[in-house]
Amino acid sequence: MPTMDPDAADVARFLAGDRSGFEAIVGRWQSRLVSLAWRFCRDRATAEDMAQEVFVKAFRSLASFRGDSAFSTWLISIAVNTFRSRLRAEGQPLLSLDPNRVFATARGPSRDLEDRERDEHVRRAVLTLPERYRDAIVVFYFEEKDLGESARILGIPEGTLKARLHRARELLKRRCANLDPLGANLPKVKEAS
Amino acid sequence: MTPDDLDRILSSDDALEPSSGFLKNVMAAAQELPDIPPPTFPWRRFLAGQAALMVMAAAGTPLLEKWGAGLTPLAARLAPLAAIAPEFGCAVAATLVAVGVAAIPWLQTRS
Repeated sequence: MPTMDPDAADVARFLAGDRSGFEAIVGRWQSRLVSLAWRFCRDRATAEDMAQEVFVKAFRSLASFRGDSAFSTWLISIAVNTFRSRLRAEGQPLLSLDPNRVFATARGPSRDLEDRERDEHVRRAVLTLPERYRDAIVVFYFEEKDLGESARILGIPEGTLKARLHRARELLKRRCANLDPLGANLPKVKEAS
Repeated sequence: MTPDDLDRILSSDDALEPSSGFLKNVMAAAQELPDIPPPTFPWRRFLAGQAALMVMAAAGTPLLEKWGAGLTPLAARLAPLAAIAPEFGCAVAATLVAVGVAAIPWLQTRS
């Protein structure tokens, strides 16, 4: 017997006037949206603020959700558009080099700090790409390399996304060319005052 | 840095868990939003359109009388059709009106 999609069930509850339906949606999606926002700005406070803005927008426009696409596609499209507008208007937040603020989670026992710093610099380099390449890379990897879903979220054909990913990787390789495997010669990152 | 390195690094980005009060803050922000009234059908625009249509029809009648002779060849070509199926025009008009009325609920949801 087919089970109802929990998002669809919660949307139906919310549209019937039960606000706990929306609370359930936020509970289910908060981690993913904050993580996506984090990939766009790499600053915890900004990420939470942007994710909250997305949920408020979703709350306002949930009545217009027709189910033409999956709820996840609809919500993440709102998120990407919101993050893009926000970063366009306000610019990237200043980034800290303090490891306690830089990394989303505690250090893993098997990886040393240099490796993590190098990885973080690569991820920050993504944020310096032109907007269309940045969005392509962030969404593609966030969606675990699902080309079709990423293209739907970004509202572009798969061929266009492939071309953007290719170009974005070329740019990234060039910008990260001076990073050696141990993280020496790291590029300078704007430090929070 | 090889393409594989790049791919591995970008694939393995950390997930960020929201702080403990996040859900509460979102719900508080949502509760503060004013209740948005349901979308209403744009009756004003609809009536303005109807009025404009009537004005055009009224203005068109004298023009047709004045220059109607030029349309005689076209009318002559349509005359056989009218003679064969005089109900056809009525049916088309009725269908268009029915479609228009049926579209009102859909237009209400789109506005």
